[in-house]
Amino acid sequence: MIQFSGVEKRYGGYLALRGIDGEVARSEVVVLCGPSGSGKSTLIRTVNRLEAIDKGTIKVEGVDVRDECQNRLRARIGFVFQQFNLFPHISALRNVTLAPVLLGKWPKREARERALHLLNRVGLGSLADRYPSQLSGGQQQRVAIARALAMEPPVMLFDEPTSALDPEMVGEVLAVMKGLARDGMTMVCVTHEMGFAREVADKVWFMAEGKVLERASPTEFFTAPSHPRTRNFLAAIRAA
Amino acid sequence: MTFAILEQADIWRLFATGLRLTAELFVFAAILGFGFGAALTALRQSNRWAAPLVIGFVEYHRNVPSLVQLLVWYFAVPQVLPAILRGWIEQNLDGFVFAIVALSLNAAAYISEDLRSGFRTLPKGQFEATEALGLSRFQALRLVLLPQAVRACFPALVSQTLSLFKATTLAMAIGVGELMYVARRIDGQTYATFAAFLVPTIMYLCCTLAIMFGGERMQRRLVATGADSR
Repeated sequence: MIQFSGVEKRYGGYLALRGIDGEVARSEVVVLCGPSGSGKSTLIRTVNRLEAIDKGTIKVEGVDVRDECQNRLRARIGFVFQQFNLFPHISALRNVTLAPVLLGKWPKREARERALHLLNRVGLGSLADRYPSQLSGGQQQRVAIARALAMEPPVMLFDEPTSALDPEMVGEVLAVMKGLARDGMTMVCVTHEMGFAREVADKVWFMAEGKVLERASPTEFFTAPSHPRTRNFLAAIRAA
Repeated sequence: MTFAILEQADIWRLFATGLRLTAELFVFAAILGFGFGAALTALRQSNRWAAPLVIGFVEYHRNVPSLVQLLVWYFAVPQVLPAILRGWIEQNLDGFVFAIVALSLNAAAYISEDLRSGFRTLPKGQFEATEALGLSRFQALRLVLLPQAVRACFPALVSQTLSLFKATTLAMAIGVGELMYVARRIDGQTYATFAAFLVPTIMYLCCTLAIMFGGERMQRRLVATGADSR
């Protein structure tokens, strides 16, 4: 579904990604974790070209992301941001309908109904006409997930979706993500929620200093990590 | 008694035609000014090569007196145009059109600067969210970024609208029969100077107050939709 080969990304003199290889299979849930500055966010942002890469290739469903029209590529990759980034001047419902109506995915007269269906799926059908500022952080992030789903993307990318939330709102967002995983969505999540990784992930990729140091099933990852950096990382988050 | 002229219906008819022309100048120049101002901001935002041109345009209009700009358009520019075009202009265009051109370009320069400062208040995430959804630059600008930029600089835009309204008086300098032009004529014919100027003063004041209150109401409505708080 997504293939990375030899991906490098440089910011000035700093090498943020140092040769990433790997593959995310269809319906697979991959959790990217690692210390901050390890390149996790940069890596998923290269998939929909929010960041351009300097070397290597990334293929989504077999197509090199640099060969495809940028906006068409992005329309088939759902992206959820840490800061939600809902559009504050329009209602939750309009946030969801905006892209699919503009890009001709939904006929205009069906838009409301379809958006309500999605908002119901994330448990917010009754708040469809509220503006983002009238919603809690957790609700905003769930609207953002519905917005990303509206384009019916085969892949969803999550960039620390719960990091900006108050602790009591993390659960509701993770629940929505778990539902997606159950429905067979291909997902790549940058997250520090190790409970989520343990429960939902098919693979955990551990990154440090711009490289993927370890790739393992959650059981393996949490019980028998092979790389010393992984052991340090796990010890550090367990101590916290 | 200088106020005696105010009992003549003819005088009021004259004031009315002046007021109508003032209103027309204002409405046309405002529509064009906002449209062109938004286009300038978009151009500057999206095209590296256009930026210096936009900056030049803005600096000319902000730093040369508005009256000079108007006279340049009306007297100077036609002279350097090809003869055929000049002939057509003399046949078909009058001071009214030139006044609208000069006023709207002037307003556009200020409006584009206000919008630009509005854009600068938008968090980077808003731009990225439109990109991640696959919207084109133009779609993003029109439906997501511009509406937010307008909200962010709304008070400044109201004040530009007021300035534009007041600047319509400049059009009298090229013989457009707007309200001040009419006042001068009535003054010249009747010598009832105080009354001749009192009436337009009150008319201008009523209009500017209406623009101000209209602006405040719109501002309140934008706040009520929860749209300007993040």
